[in-house]
Amino acid sequence: MRPIVTVTGVGLVSPVGATAAEVFTAVGEGRSGLTRPPEGHPVHGVVDVAGFSPPIDPASVLPGPESRVVDRSIVMALRAAEDALADAGVQVGRDVDPYRIAVIVSGVGGLSTLESQVLERARRGRFGVSPYMLPGTLPNMGAARIAIRFGVRGYTSSIGTACAAGAQSIGEAVRILRAGEADMVLCGCSEAPLFPTFADAFGNARALARGWSDPTAASRPFDRRRNGLVLGEGAGVLLLERAAHAAARGARRYADVLGWGATNDAHHPTTPRPDGTGAAQCMRIALRDAGLRPDDIGYVNAHGTGTRAGDAAEATALREVYGSSTPPVSSTKGVTGHLLGVSGVVEAAVCAEVLRTGLLPPTHNLDDPDPACEMDLIRKEPRAVPVRAVLSNSFGFGGHNVSLVLGHPEPLPG
Amino acid sequence: MTDEIRTFLFAALTEMKYDAEDADDDTVFGPAGLDVDSLGLAELAVRVEDRFGVAFDDDEAEDLAMMTVGELCRSVQARIQPASAH
Repeated sequence: MRPIVTVTGVGLVSPVGATAAEVFTAVGEGRSGLTRPPEGHPVHGVVDVAGFSPPIDPASVLPGPESRVVDRSIVMALRAAEDALADAGVQVGRDVDPYRIAVIVSGVGGLSTLESQVLERARRGRFGVSPYMLPGTLPNMGAARIAIRFGVRGYTSSIGTACAAGAQSIGEAVRILRAGEADMVLCGCSEAPLFPTFADAFGNARALARGWSDPTAASRPFDRRRNGLVLGEGAGVLLLERAAHAAARGARRYADVLGWGATNDAHHPTTPRPDGTGAAQCMRIALRDAGLRPDDIGYVNAHGTGTRAGDAAEATALREVYGSSTPPVSSTKGVTGHLLGVSGVVEAAVCAEVLRTGLLPPTHNLDDPDPACEMDLIRKEPRAVPVRAVLSNSFGFGGHNVSLVLGHPEPLPG
Repeated sequence: MTDEIRTFLFAALTEMKYDAEDADDDTVFGPAGLDVDSLGLAELAVRVEDRFGVAFDDDEAEDLAMMTVGELCRSVQARIQPASAH
């Protein structure tokens, strides 16, 4: 029998909270984390609205000299990992063999710091380039610095599947734990996209929500008037653990990760396949991996970013799996914005809270559902329905689809 | 000139978040003294090159860990004024 994989720690850096419960409360209450950029912020005047996470002093997570040229994505990754370990009551070396804990923490890397270094290079030539730039920006450095800081000596990696990367990191962690290659995995993602070049790329691609006088109204997944996504920054790290290992140390279990799936649309670098077949097959694979039938799913946390094409394609995919009768569906990005790869991690934490509380969160700003997104959409208020298992979707540029299935902690055999 | 170089080095180290408060000419840059790591030494070398218009070879930069503050000051000064001994 394959090992049960369970979540024993959650660490989040997000516009709406630092714990699973805080984020879940904000989502349930429709308390938006989206605001106008503050005066002086690099994206002030660049984007209308964004999801800003609380500032973190780099010196609070890195030794002095290391903290000067380090991207915010790495700083947030370190804070999320620290919180996940503390939440799980884990000290590496005391609660787990350093070679039996892995790290898979992903993201696009420290592009903001790269932007500023490129500008310095243009201004001052080679003297403007810091030798610290690469350890401060490479996409593997979140995972690597977590390993260095906490003494993790097992498998360490990062995954580059854009907005599917956080969910895929969780999936790969499941694979490693099932294979018996580790007892614990710190898995997740960190993204710091709120700087001019990156924001302009999304803006010029006409992907960003625009024209909303109220910033909290800008992110409106599945709504007829939606006109794009709202960029957000943050980090999310889960501590996944073999359930038997968790039980042996008396750890609390949030939820089990029952299964996952991954496919590619093989269609276009940024546009989802309109017939939804890639995402539909991804969900089917995740269900099969979990040993569940589609009807066993009581709630779907959609990718639902608020773009015209993306939301419609996801709805088509869900109808492909479920026909006209889908499980209750919502997107929590109405309050969080789109944290890119981090979304899948934050939403997995939300799913764990759904299982615990039996409350299904609504989609904020879903005032007038788009007929192209016809499904059992949860609007306005949370729905109280105890569920057995939940499904969470994440889709990324490149046509990457990842679905996770979470369920209540299962009793251990014997 | 040595004073100016020393002042520059201490200011650079402080800006780089090293604790240079108790350092003097006899303090080494490596683990026995300021404990500046390899990237820190590389950055310090680039800053000195930028400020004083001198150049370090790659292997010289690696040797900085064994040097004292005073030795580096004299080495930089010698590069600035190679003919001053005559």
